[in-house]
Amino acid sequence: VRLAGRIPVEPLDEERLTQIERRVVAGAVDAAVRGQQLRAPGRLLAPLIAAAAIAAAAAVGWAIRGAPEDPQVAAPAPAAVPELRVQTAPQRSVVDIGDARIESDPDTAFAVTRPRGGVLVAVARGKVELEVGKRGDRPPLVVRAGDTDVVVVGTRFSVDYGDGSGDVDVRVTEGVVRVVHLQQETRVAAGQAWRTRTGLIAMAGGPRAAGAALSGAGGPTTPGADSPAARAPDRAPGGDAGREPGHEPTHAPTWGTDAPGMLHDRRAAVPDAPAPPAPPPPRPAAPAHPAGHEPPHPRPAGHDDPRLDLGAAIRAQHIEPALDLGEPSPAGAITRYYDIAAHRSGDEASQAFYSIAWVRYFRQDNPADALQALDAYVRRFPGGKQYRAALWLRVRIQCLERFDAACHAAAYTYLHEAPDAPAAHVAELLTQAE
Amino acid sequence: VTAVLYVEDVLLVDRCLTGEPAATRELFRRHRGRVHACLFRVLGGNRDMDDLLQEAFLQVFRSLRSWRAEASLATWIDRVAVRCAYRHLSQRQRRIATDPLEDHDAGALTAPDAGPGARRQLARDGVVRLYAVLDELSPAARLAFTLHELDGRSVAETAELVGSSVAATKLRVWRARKRVEAAAAADPVLREFVASHDREVP
Repeated sequence: VRLAGRIPVEPLDEERLTQIERRVVAGAVDAAVRGQQLRAPGRLLAPLIAAAAIAAAAAVGWAIRGAPEDPQVAAPAPAAVPELRVQTAPQRSVVDIGDARIESDPDTAFAVTRPRGGVLVAVARGKVELEVGKRGDRPPLVVRAGDTDVVVVGTRFSVDYGDGSGDVDVRVTEGVVRVVHLQQETRVAAGQAWRTRTGLIAMAGGPRAAGAALSGAGGPTTPGADSPAARAPDRAPGGDAGREPGHEPTHAPTWGTDAPGMLHDRRAAVPDAPAPPAPPPPRPAAPAHPAGHEPPHPRPAGHDDPRLDLGAAIRAQHIEPALDLGEPSPAGAITRYYDIAAHRSGDEASQAFYSIAWVRYFRQDNPADALQALDAYVRRFPGGKQYRAALWLRVRIQCLERFDAACHAAAYTYLHEAPDAPAAHVAELLTQAE
Repeated sequence: VTAVLYVEDVLLVDRCLTGEPAATRELFRRHRGRVHACLFRVLGGNRDMDDLLQEAFLQVFRSLRSWRAEASLATWIDRVAVRCAYRHLSQRQRRIATDPLEDHDAGALTAPDAGPGARRQLARDGVVRLYAVLDELSPAARLAFTLHELDGRSVAETAELVGSSVAATKLRVWRARKRVEAAAAADPVLREFVASHDREVP
């Protein structure tokens, strides 16, 4: 039996092929989008939102049903009456509540209650900085900003709730706090920060820089320029977000009339004059381009961290060079890299892939093709010799272009894969650059 | 596979993974002819061919992220298509709906002085009768036989496509060939079709 080539294939006519192609392309694009969604960092958000929706529905159901008929079930405790309400005017204020020292930025509103022996600082808007003494066996101090709780057992930190409707920014100077947001708990240690949108990040300059951003022993400061409060475009000094009409802000905290006696001997100190701004930390020197070629892309504009020139920081990082084949023309070099990538294996092939990207970017001014080659490298050679270099080059290409979602994703990936690399610090900053 | 093609495949796949329609279209057009021929030779002409081709490519794009570029893209796509064909064969309890057998005069078709028209008819009938025999084989045996004997792939390549060892594939091909030879002994049209391998098919 020798039948190879004996079966004539009945061709499909063009119309049928076109229909198949249309359906296949639609299905493929759909599959790609779903795949990207599954791989997106926020993929855990959907179940969390679903869980929150279920909880909300249960709460509504509970409210509609009214009090339980079973006498054994205790009625919910009445809401704690605020013992201290603070609304600050253009000046900063300092409040010592015994358990903690609370500094607040101008135009900040918060209330302090003590439910069940703990301390709850509910922030309506603005930024508070706390220095909390060791609480030992006592219930913890909790700072609540919207749906985010910061649980403290003794530390120094700040919570910035902006205009009271957006992101929360938690920065820890000493000790550790636990941030609970959407039923997910994150441990934030000294030198780290947590934001609603980005989650846990490291602060520029580590704990020392974070300490400079907070007042505390170093004296009061203006809020960080990259804080949500400072970013809120509609938040003018003395803004009226959350303020009742006709109710002028008080310079001194307002004590609740029903505050327990233990709080009456606390004093609220309000500075007479606005706090002087903190001196800006020195910028890193702009380094020379490591590859000897200035990238053809413009420097990013609009990042709001005055402490660091991210463009210069990106360029300062070492770039792994391409494989040197002595080929003068970029096209000739790429042809040879193709040959190596296809016919060799291991480090040689991976280096050829990386080199294709390098030449595409630095010598051919073609970032799109360079990114494609880098993506191919990352998929083809996970853990390869140039893996980290490829990830960093991807960060460099994406983030020198603009600080967008692609830049953030590239920086996150690099940070995840190379947390101990020298460029990890810059990648951390890039994850929050806007 | 040339170096440029290999690298271009890698880059094309990455573009597809971003959901770029143009890249998806290009990949489909590059491989549709080969995949269709492979499915046709394994399953024979049947009414489900459009759906099968579409399903095979949809499966390719759903699984594209798992392609590690260790095999060539064409081989990997063929493997997906073969798996699709295997599933189709396994799920169908009845025989594949091939074109019905026509009752031609076997003597006239196989006569030495038969004209070109008769020989073309013989080829068509031979194909139909061959697939009628293949319908009686197990899906694994049919795949091994058709990929090796009809699609012209080596035993090693066939084994890789069907995910079996070379020895098992050889055995399946041998058993299927014996089955076809036995059927050809009892069917003059099939016998003539099988025996006329060295004749020019019009």
